[in-house]
Amino acid sequence: MPRKCLICTSKSTSNITLFQKRQKNNFSVNAKSSVTRVCCICGVVDAGISQFKTVVDITVYKEEPQPALTTDYNVSTCDQKEMVFINNTHNNKVVDSISSNVCTTSARTGNCSSRFMENIPTPYLKTPQRPKQYLDIVWERINDLCKHNEQLQRENKKLKRKILKTKEMTTEKVSLTDALSNVDVLDELTLPDEQPCIEAQPCSILYQANFDTNFEDRNGFVTGIAKYIEEATVHASLNEILEEGLKHSVMLYTWRCCSRAIPQPKSNEQPNRVEIYEKTVEVLGPEVNKLLSFMYFQRKAIERFSAEVKRLCHQEKRKDFVSEAYLLTLGKFINMFAVLDELKNMKSSVKNDYSTYRRAAQFLKVMSDSHTLQESQNLSMFLAIQNKIRDTVKENLEKIPGYEELLADVVTLCIQMFETKMYLTPNEKHMLVKVMGFGLFLMDNELCNINKLDQKKRLNLNKIDRIFKNLEVVPLFGDMQIAPFNYIKRSKNYDASKWPLSCSANISPQADLMVHLPQIREDHLKYISELARYSNEVTTTYKETRTDTENKDTTDLALRGLQLLSEWTGVVTELYSWKLLHPTDHHQNKDCPQEAEEYERATRYNYTGEEKFALIEVIAMIKELQVLMSKMETVFTDAIRRNIYAELQDFIQIILREPLRKAIKNKKDLIRSILMSVRETCADWQRGVEPQADPALKGKKDPESGFGIKVPRRNVGPSSTQLYMVRTMLESLIADKSGGKRTLRKDIDGQYLMQIDQFHKTSFFWNYLLNFSDSLQQCCDLSQLWYREFYLEMTMGRRIQKCNVRHQHNEECSDLITMEKRIQFPIEMSMPWILTDHILRTKEPSVMECVLYPLDLYNDSAHYALTVFKKQFLYDEVEAEVNLCFDQFVYKLSEQMFSYYKQLAASILLDKRFRVECVARGTYYLPYPRANRYETLMRQRHVQLLGRSIDLNKLITQRINVDMLKSLELAISKFEAGDITGTVELDGLLKVNRLCHKLLSKHLALDDYEAMLREANHNILAPYGRITLHVFWELNYDFLPNYCYNAATARFVKCREISFTQPVHRDKPPQMGHQYLWGSKPLNLAYTTIFGQYTGFVGSPHFRTICRLLGYQGIAVVMEELLKIVKSLIQGNILQFTKTLMEAMPKVCKLPRYDYGSPGVLGYYHAQLNDIVQYPDAKTELFHNFRELGNTILFCLQMEQALSQEEVCDLLHAAPFQNIFPRPFCKEGEKPETKQKRLETKFAALHQAMIAREGDLLTRERLCCGLSIFEVILARLRNYLDDPIWIGPPSLNGVMNIDECTEFHRLWSALQFVYCIPVGENEFTVEELFGEGLNWAGCAMITLLGQQRRFEALDFCYHILRVQRVDGKDENVKGIVCNFDEHLKRMVDRIRRFQVLNSQIFAVLNKYLKTGENDSLSIEHVRCFPPPIHPSITTVHSHGHYYRPEHIHQMVQHNH
Amino acid sequence: MATVHREAIQKQIQQDWANREYIEVITGSVKKITDFLNSFDMSCRSRIAVLNEKLTILERKIEYLEAWVTKGETMN
Repeated sequence: MPRKCLICTSKSTSNITLFQKRQKNNFSVNAKSSVTRVCCICGVVDAGISQFKTVVDITVYKEEPQPALTTDYNVSTCDQKEMVFINNTHNNKVVDSISSNVCTTSARTGNCSSRFMENIPTPYLKTPQRPKQYLDIVWERINDLCKHNEQLQRENKKLKRKILKTKEMTTEKVSLTDALSNVDVLDELTLPDEQPCIEAQPCSILYQANFDTNFEDRNGFVTGIAKYIEEATVHASLNEILEEGLKHSVMLYTWRCCSRAIPQPKSNEQPNRVEIYEKTVEVLGPEVNKLLSFMYFQRKAIERFSAEVKRLCHQEKRKDFVSEAYLLTLGKFINMFAVLDELKNMKSSVKNDYSTYRRAAQFLKVMSDSHTLQESQNLSMFLAIQNKIRDTVKENLEKIPGYEELLADVVTLCIQMFETKMYLTPNEKHMLVKVMGFGLFLMDNELCNINKLDQKKRLNLNKIDRIFKNLEVVPLFGDMQIAPFNYIKRSKNYDASKWPLSCSANISPQADLMVHLPQIREDHLKYISELARYSNEVTTTYKETRTDTENKDTTDLALRGLQLLSEWTGVVTELYSWKLLHPTDHHQNKDCPQEAEEYERATRYNYTGEEKFALIEVIAMIKELQVLMSKMETVFTDAIRRNIYAELQDFIQIILREPLRKAIKNKKDLIRSILMSVRETCADWQRGVEPQADPALKGKKDPESGFGIKVPRRNVGPSSTQLYMVRTMLESLIADKSGGKRTLRKDIDGQYLMQIDQFHKTSFFWNYLLNFSDSLQQCCDLSQLWYREFYLEMTMGRRIQKCNVRHQHNEECSDLITMEKRIQFPIEMSMPWILTDHILRTKEPSVMECVLYPLDLYNDSAHYALTVFKKQFLYDEVEAEVNLCFDQFVYKLSEQMFSYYKQLAASILLDKRFRVECVARGTYYLPYPRANRYETLMRQRHVQLLGRSIDLNKLITQRINVDMLKSLELAISKFEAGDITGTVELDGLLKVNRLCHKLLSKHLALDDYEAMLREANHNILAPYGRITLHVFWELNYDFLPNYCYNAATARFVKCREISFTQPVHRDKPPQMGHQYLWGSKPLNLAYTTIFGQYTGFVGSPHFRTICRLLGYQGIAVVMEELLKIVKSLIQGNILQFTKTLMEAMPKVCKLPRYDYGSPGVLGYYHAQLNDIVQYPDAKTELFHNFRELGNTILFCLQMEQALSQEEVCDLLHAAPFQNIFPRPFCKEGEKPETKQKRLETKFAALHQAMIAREGDLLTRERLCCGLSIFEVILARLRNYLDDPIWIGPPSLNGVMNIDECTEFHRLWSALQFVYCIPVGENEFTVEELFGEGLNWAGCAMITLLGQQRRFEALDFCYHILRVQRVDGKDENVKGIVCNFDEHLKRMVDRIRRFQVLNSQIFAVLNKYLKTGENDSLSIEHVRCFPPPIHPSITTVHSHGHYYRPEHIHQMVQHNH
Repeated sequence: MATVHREAIQKQIQQDWANREYIEVITGSVKKITDFLNSFDMSCRSRIAVLNEKLTILERKIEYLEAWVTKGETMN
């Protein structure tokens, strides 16, 4: 028979056979095959008879959220669901109304759109909404079911898992086992996530199944005692009122003043005032409706509460037993009234808004009828009267005789629960305290004195006093609190002597986190290690099923974890609340400015550094443990369900047998019926029914062999109603305070009482454990640390004294209208940021890894805004703050990371001996930066914040990239601001940056260092970088004209006395933070000192760094440019001077004979060269020009040498890569071959011969064939000397000029004569003024002109030297320089010195010039002259010939 | 009759336990799937982040090389 699909009404259904192998999964239901109908369209399983179904729908909402509870199968929105499981339960009397929703959207998962505006249903509804007809339907169906019992039993449970494979949704046979094993297989997939977990629970999908039925299924337990089923009905409705109360309190707390934003008509004549009033009514109308419903609600709630109290206080009823759950619900009511009253009192904006509305409404005459007017009047009064709710409750209660007895029971229960820690979440703990306070206040009146109750031992005020002292301030919502002592103090019969702690000056332990911290730490450590051990055990060993004991241990572990979390959360929130109520001021805290805002005083300045660290630590512990526990949630919940099932069934089926037997035997019918009810309410018998043969049922003893009862095991806990029923019924057995009536306790043996009592206590926590994920979340809820509605309202509209924005303050800051109204507090006053910033500011390594935990507080707050407050504006504000904070966070974090690594690099590179010396002298202490744990933070690639996944690594990389580039740019700018000596420092800076880059690159994907350097150097687009340009600039404007070379030190030193050029102007060095330079102030100082040593000269360190910085290309450019300068110098100034001076030279200047004696020779030359000596510009400008030329030549020479050194270093570095090793040192008996081999294997990994070979191709080539830059430079220089003036006309004798002064070397001889003349006191020598560059210029020109030999032979000075050597005379030669006794001697000494220098220079030059001469191709052109024939060859031959001086000397001595 | 009725109820209670267990098992499995999806998500995010990083490096390198090779002509 074709049947319609029940879901999509399609007719195309097909039959498939399911085979259920349930045994493996511990299903105790017998496996049977059955025919199942499956819809081909929607894939829903339909098992034929569909009278009664429980639908678990796992809904992934795509568009519109729907309340998830469905009592029947009519899931009309099939297309909205991706998977639908339908479970047909035919043999079912109990309806499980289960909603298990997938909340795809939560604060952590994001996509928080406007759907979270108030009043829009959210997909996550904790308590599903139920239709009113629900009850009737259930009843009908239960009756139906009973009738069709026989028929239903034939049907078995059918299971089906649907897999959507294609778009056509083809169906496939999948057994439950397969489906479950598919799920298990998911665990085996490896999902690598390489980031260390240092953030709070990251989750994109939040899944929470909620099985709380709020007693809807109470009628299923018909076997229970009717009274408690009735009570359950009451509970259900009371719970609904409580829930509504929560909504109203949320409404009050999150009330934002509207009237302030509404324009008020200034006068009655204002034309648009009607319009304004109309709009006001329109805008405020919906808000006022909320207030109205609040008023009606409180009225209704008070009536209901009074009615309940009245019912329970009835004289007959008083004798009866009132269950703990009932009393607790009454307590919750008391708590609700207290909270609502407190909120109503505190919120003045509610009253203001209402009066604004009323004014507008009255003007418009909206409220015309008397009813509305009356209502408005009532609301107005209700809002205006302080403590209205409280007083009404009290008033109503006082009409009920004996109410105080009941309240005393409630209060006593609260004390007892508080003391025995019968609560789980911090909220419940606070509720208990509030109930105590408000309860006492309600009890105390003219007729009833609480002090008397104390005397009657009905209450223990002493205990309460202590509890209140320990929790002086109870958190309410966000920044609102209640102080329970205030209730006591306000009560009529307050007697300070009864409450010694209420007025004591001692500070509550709540205010001091430090006292709790050691214990928290210890607990944390202990618990974490236990959990880790357990977690390892679970993940490493696989067991089909765990034993009962194991399950119990796991359950205990889970409960302990929850309790610890709750305790810590309590400590944090209580401290926060206490601090809010006790703000600091400028007397207590020196850092707190006098004009600080209230909220600022309550948060920002109210915590010491130590407290902040402690807070961070505790928050980190909470979040960390939460992550760990939620990771193990499936393991925990599994064990919890198994454990609870086992304990419950063992207790009911076995333990309860004994008291039952006794009760039957002793004919205690009441006890028997209660025990039987308990058994029937939740026993899950092995065979489906109670073993009839059980002797205990007849009050008889078990047979000798014992009566075996096998208790089954399942993976499920009791339903919430079931648990309530069992607990309440058992409680009625053991209750000892049923108002004078004889208790049942007496009829039960002590040992059974103990067991029942124990069960009752243990099972208290079962509800929490069964809702593990919800409990876990509530125990870790720190969301209230952000909310500040109370303070906002207080500050709203108050003028802010000073502008807090960091900028250049101007007039606007003091008169901006917007500044007058505080819309939100700045982040500096916000707790999450205060804590985050504290870590960033102190850079404390131990908490650095916790830095994401305080930020997670925003997640908590946002989650709360969405799920509990359900207010879009709150979420928006959190989001705005997070946006701001996170920017700050990344900025600060990356800045300090960069500075940390810079310091580290600088410390590593700092000269070790310098460091030791510094320590020894105590000048400054240069510690390595304190090791910090930035690595973990840098590895974070997905930080969850408000549903966004943030790649922290990427953000940090971006910023550090920029910092790195800036650092390089600044290093170059610093160099640009100084002279050429800065190259060494620049090189040092670049080295430090390179190391810093290397260290950071381990964790971050920074740009290539070389690329960055090029970019900073502006060397990507332009051919030459800033460094090259500045080096050239400095060479040209400062180095060449101002520096003097000294061969002895091989250094150039600046001539400070006289400058022949304009002083050089450079840009000022840019201002830069320490982190961009060397990392920190002491390091900057140290490095400045070290590099200060290099600023006085230019020598080989500078040339080597220039080599490194410029590279081949840069060097080539610089040299090319220098050659241009030299060319213009030679062909310009020097040529001009030469031409002029050549005119002044004597035409002929002979070498005077020795006979004249040295003074004579000197005198001769002086006379001959007088024009030159007297020439004014010779000693200044001409020499300066020659110095520039010489310096250029020297610079090129030094560069050549530095480059060679660099290249040799390169070769040596590259050698191991090419399998070239230095010969190893061998001791006696060691074989060099083996050592060689060992080296080879050691460096085998480095073998990259190809790359290395290519790399040093150029170097090798250069070194091999002796390519030399300097040689080329000299050749180029030679080309510049193309003017005939340098060589003069050819010699008349056809061989060479001897006496004629036409060639350049003669001029140079004259100049040498000039500078060899000693200077007087206070005059500068040429060495001082020009250095050896002068000599280098002259010698180089002479060499290049090929006049070296002639110069050496014919030089004037050399001649004087030779003559003086022979005669050794030393006397003043008049007219040259007077007043000098040893004049000649001094001059000769100078000559000698210059002669040596000149020969050195010639040697060096010749070395470079003659390198090519070894070449076989070059033929030495030698002109051979025949020896001259002289007629008087036989006479005086000795004077005609040139002899070497020493030879002459010998000859003279011989003659004498 | 009373016994029959009681037995029926007991069986229904047992059936209820079985049903609820079934639901728990399914819920637990869904929870496992959720956990899996979450860790899958995390894992993917981290891997995608690594991939993204590599692409970013390449992009920046190309940009740099392009600027270098063309001397900025294509940068406009």
